[in-house]
Amino acid sequence: MKMTQGENVLVTYALGSCIGLCFHDPRLKLGALLHIMLPINMETGRTHPLKYADTGIRETLRQMEAKGAMRSRMTVKIAGGAKMFEIAGGSGLGNIGQRNIESVNAILKRENIRLLGQEVGGKVARTLFFDVGSGQACVRSYGQKDIFF
Amino acid sequence: MTIKNYEQMSSLEIDTLREIGSIGTGNAATALSQMLGKEVRITLPEVRIMGYNEAIEWIGGPEAVTAGVLVKMSGDMGGIMLSVQKLELVNIILETMLGKGIQSYEELAELEQSALIEIGNIMISAFVTALSGLAGINVNLTVPAFAVDMQGAILAVPMAEYGGMSDYLMTIGGNFVCDGKEVPSHLMLSPDLRSLNFLLRKLGVSNE
Repeated sequence: MKMTQGENVLVTYALGSCIGLCFHDPRLKLGALLHIMLPINMETGRTHPLKYADTGIRETLRQMEAKGAMRSRMTVKIAGGAKMFEIAGGSGLGNIGQRNIESVNAILKRENIRLLGQEVGGKVARTLFFDVGSGQACVRSYGQKDIFF
Repeated sequence: MTIKNYEQMSSLEIDTLREIGSIGTGNAATALSQMLGKEVRITLPEVRIMGYNEAIEWIGGPEAVTAGVLVKMSGDMGGIMLSVQKLELVNIILETMLGKGIQSYEELAELEQSALIEIGNIMISAFVTALSGLAGINVNLTVPAFAVDMQGAILAVPMAEYGGMSDYLMTIGGNFVCDGKEVPSHLMLSPDLRSLNFLLRKLGVSNE
């Protein structure tokens, strides 16, 4: 998780089934970019809270609130959750991307954070840029035009 | 001792995996050589157990586009096997099999893709056959899946699948030497931990 204040751009590269979340408090121009890999934290020691949607979102919110961010002003944009490989027969890989999307949506709702935009699903990898000054997010994919949202 | 994550492996256990990696890669090179009808040699393969970020840097950064062939293992050993094909290797395969190489991955049409999938599949199968023969276990493989995209996302697939258990990947990289050119090739074996323990026990190196 990266956090910054002011006119800075945060980047996370090559999101596949992972999800990048851009947290933004426009009044403080405070932004955080979280990169989660799995939907739910089932680690016993919980040594890597930021790797999971549930503990990662809560930890990011905690750190932003410590800097003065307010949930009522805060917005989130998300990107990722793709399915990189299609295994014939369907027996293959659990669709982690889809589970990540569902988990992130459920947790944001529970934490009362407004979801402002999303570029999720499909089967392309995404690099996510987050302009903390303006709150604008941009997704870059292989062989496609950049998408601003 | 039952291993709970890759970091806990002893040097003997890592050496054993390295040996398996060498034999597996050797078989994969032989398979490739037979398929292409020309000599393919390997340089000494490197077996490394590393974190995701380190693995990404090792194969050339997250955003570099690459072709990946993925096969899922089940049976006595569960896990994922991934063959990452860089453009140089892709061109050797395509020039030999189809008589024409490509400048970028965007030129891959159905025929070219199918050739790459088949080569990836044969290399992975040769690797797994060597491994299962050595350990005396049965491993089933799924039909291969194929993707061309940023390699960061491709490598994240085994990480996410087994990420709940470990932050480490086992990667086996070696250079193939073909027509006097040395081209990098990467095969990645990510067994789940239960299977890794089973494998080490079968090979008689787990000090239980």
